[in-house]
Amino acid sequence: MSEMEKKAAQQDDVLLEVRDLKKYFPIKGGLFNKVVGQVRAVDGISFKLKRGTTMGLVGESGCGKSTAGRTILRLLERTSGEILFNGTDIGTLSKKQLRAIRPKIQIIFQDPYSSLSPRLPVGEIIGEAVREHGIVAKEDYDEYLDNIMNECGLQPFHKDRYPHEFSGGQRQRICIARALALNPSFVVCDEPVSALDVSIHAQIINLLKDLQREHNLTYLFISHDLSVVEHISDTIGVMYLGNLVETGDKEDIFANPLHPYTQALFSAIPMPDPDAKMNRVILEGSIPSPANPPSGCKFHTRCRYCMEKCSKEEPATYEVEPGHTVTCHLYAGGNKKLPELPPQDPNAVSAAD
Amino acid sequence: MSIEEKKTVENVDPELDPQGPGSEDLALDDERRVKVLSPGAMVAKRFFRNKLAMAGIIILICMFIFSFIGGAVSPYGESQIFEDYEEVVTNFAGATLNTDYRYVEAYSGSLPTTARTSMILAVNQGADTYEAGENTYALQEIGEHSYLISGTATVAQADRLAGSYVLTSDVVEVTDDLSAAFNEAMNAGASTFTYGGTEYTITGSGRTYYMSAMQELGFATQEIIEAEGLSYQAKKEALVSLLAGDSTFEADGASYTMEIDGSTAIIFSGSDEIGTISSYSIQGVENGTVISTELRAAIIEAIENDTAAFTLPDAEGNEVEYEVVRENERYTIRTASSTRLIQTYLAPSKAHLLGTDGAGMDILTRLMYGGRISLLIGFVVVILETIIGVVLGGLAGYFGKWVDMLIMRIVDIFYCIPTWPILIILGAVMDSYQVDAKVRIYFMMVVLAVLGWPFIARIVRGQILSLREQEFMVAAEATGISVSRRIFRHLVPNVIPQLIVQCTMALGGIILTESTMSFLGIGVKFPYASWGNIISSVSNVFVMTNYWYCWIPAGFCILITVLGFNFVGDGLRDAFDPKMKR
Repeated sequence: MSEMEKKAAQQDDVLLEVRDLKKYFPIKGGLFNKVVGQVRAVDGISFKLKRGTTMGLVGESGCGKSTAGRTILRLLERTSGEILFNGTDIGTLSKKQLRAIRPKIQIIFQDPYSSLSPRLPVGEIIGEAVREHGIVAKEDYDEYLDNIMNECGLQPFHKDRYPHEFSGGQRQRICIARALALNPSFVVCDEPVSALDVSIHAQIINLLKDLQREHNLTYLFISHDLSVVEHISDTIGVMYLGNLVETGDKEDIFANPLHPYTQALFSAIPMPDPDAKMNRVILEGSIPSPANPPSGCKFHTRCRYCMEKCSKEEPATYEVEPGHTVTCHLYAGGNKKLPELPPQDPNAVSAAD
Repeated sequence: MSIEEKKTVENVDPELDPQGPGSEDLALDDERRVKVLSPGAMVAKRFFRNKLAMAGIIILICMFIFSFIGGAVSPYGESQIFEDYEEVVTNFAGATLNTDYRYVEAYSGSLPTTARTSMILAVNQGADTYEAGENTYALQEIGEHSYLISGTATVAQADRLAGSYVLTSDVVEVTDDLSAAFNEAMNAGASTFTYGGTEYTITGSGRTYYMSAMQELGFATQEIIEAEGLSYQAKKEALVSLLAGDSTFEADGASYTMEIDGSTAIIFSGSDEIGTISSYSIQGVENGTVISTELRAAIIEAIENDTAAFTLPDAEGNEVEYEVVRENERYTIRTASSTRLIQTYLAPSKAHLLGTDGAGMDILTRLMYGGRISLLIGFVVVILETIIGVVLGGLAGYFGKWVDMLIMRIVDIFYCIPTWPILIILGAVMDSYQVDAKVRIYFMMVVLAVLGWPFIARIVRGQILSLREQEFMVAAEATGISVSRRIFRHLVPNVIPQLIVQCTMALGGIILTESTMSFLGIGVKFPYASWGNIISSVSNVFVMTNYWYCWIPAGFCILITVLGFNFVGDGLRDAFDPKMKR
């Protein structure tokens, strides 16, 4: 297939590489606002993202997905690590350089209500940065704007309307149009559909996919909705408490989840078939505080396969299959499969849902 | 519906659409929605649909026209005081029966004070001569309470010149015979000589000698001789004639007649009245009042005849009425005279539609000028407050951290300042430095703005703090929009509506503050009008209850202006809120 060939051609064309990215938020307290601790929202994640592909970033609420996305765009200053975009480290750019690179890296927010300025007409919201960065010549501006709006499923006469006149789905289209108008090569989609009606999900996801095909966009798709991620992603990264525990191609991960957390997470995907037997993996306990993460493997407090080693040593990352990596002690020494365990009590409450 | 039909419907207001806006066909169709207005027009439309806001704006327009055009149209000035002349009966002159001796000197300085006081003693003792100082005086009674006073006085000075003495004198006539007699006496070494029946005494030494003689020095009488232009001799003759009952006398080669009525006489020279002699002393109440001889005579006649009133033609021939009022020994002559009156508390009339106030100024005109100042102060103060407040509040909100900390602590300090005591103290300071009324107004604007900006700074800061964290600001940052653009295109438009609302409301508040200050006398001062100081003219219950037109119009102006600003403020708030239904 041509798409497969295209993918193959892009195999080595890495657009974004993140190396050991960390983002700690200081906890201030006491009489003099001293830093008394740190929330390790992102605690050393590394991945590569190839041009024209989508990486789905999944994980529970509070595991640092959104923080990772924003730190990559340098909307938050990283604590350490490298963010190589087209070979340049975004983290070290001066403000001026950063502004110049901004159009190339865009973000679509979760909440389409608060992410649009209520006092600007839609045309202005979409076109403001286009003019600011001089993306198109002045005389082509109106036509360009109309085209972008058309592509995103908006009518040109919407330009003069205000955001409050639109429904959630339309607003998200405006957000997408705003990001797209700058002709970006990389877009962070920060849970773009989770604030929307389920009936709109498909529209927006399909829109994003269409736009990706036409503009050769690269997405970092942050979501906790696994079915959405399955639909849109080429590769998937699973995050747990600030760490990337497993990365790999979508097919590999869905077919063969390696990390115990991934297994638990994926077992929670609802099946459309009521007769299908669900083999749920129920996690016990709740997610630990990122301010005071467990020692060793952060997942060991909830892991069914917990060994003595897990609470002492941080696990290394092992490439079990080509392109499929996992950060778990179980895969040390070339192990490819998890040991068998007795089935769980089906009445236990799932924490990874 | 076909596409053509759709297009025709597009321009039709859904409210006018017979199918109604709720019609299923029209719902959810963007094409058919009401034509989109520009943002300004949307605000204006919402604003104009708000009845209260329109009432407010009409009130304000009226007040502006009233204040700014009314002042120019009004025929009166801001501090023009209306005056009127009115006939008022006032004390004109006083008359008393004289019991003191009046002295008429034969020549200037002939009767020194010692001579006068000693005379009264001598008269009381019935003595014919008395001594005062180094001189001896002789008294000769010429009538009741009338005495001729004679004494030794230097009458001439003699200077030796070319072997003989030359006499000079302004008292006696120096004749050749007198000189010869003097020289003769000097040559004979005599100290006295007699010439023409008069004995002269010579004193002195060296080259200068003085010649003295018994001399008539003047007379003392209790009659008052008011006759300007008559010489001593004539006065003496007039008195002597009066005492003797003669109606004619001659003096200095002229003859006079007198009309004698009791102890009073009017002296005529031919047919002209030239003076009076009477025992009444008549003086004008005001300095410089000229009492004519005719009037004097008429007053004396009235007193003697015990008449209470009389008339006399004045210089223009108009009959003037005089009243004579007796109090003990004193008579007061009263007459109507024209007096300048300030027209205070005039009731509303055609000339003064709202009457005049306690200072005689036209209230309507004062209201117009007062409105000008009140509105001007309101606007200037709000603009100053807004500039300071937006800049400082914006800095605090946008930059946060220590900038925020610093500015907000300054704001806290300003909130701690007790506004009224400060205003009163500053007012008193300006009073003591006698600051010009106009400069005072400027000071007042600055002081009010400096005391008032913190609330705007707080509003702006609060708004910006909340807006800064909104995702659209992050989005603006993500799209690489410059900081200034982010502030002015994304933050400020979101702050402005509330700012405008607050400013409009504050305008009313400042007009109230200004009025209160002016009412207390620490704000706008005369000659400048302000609604507050118009009301402050009501300082007592009498004015409040009797002259409603002095304070009710000004109070009404304040009331409806503040109300107007509040209505407009509310209307603007609703109009600026895009979430409001249109």
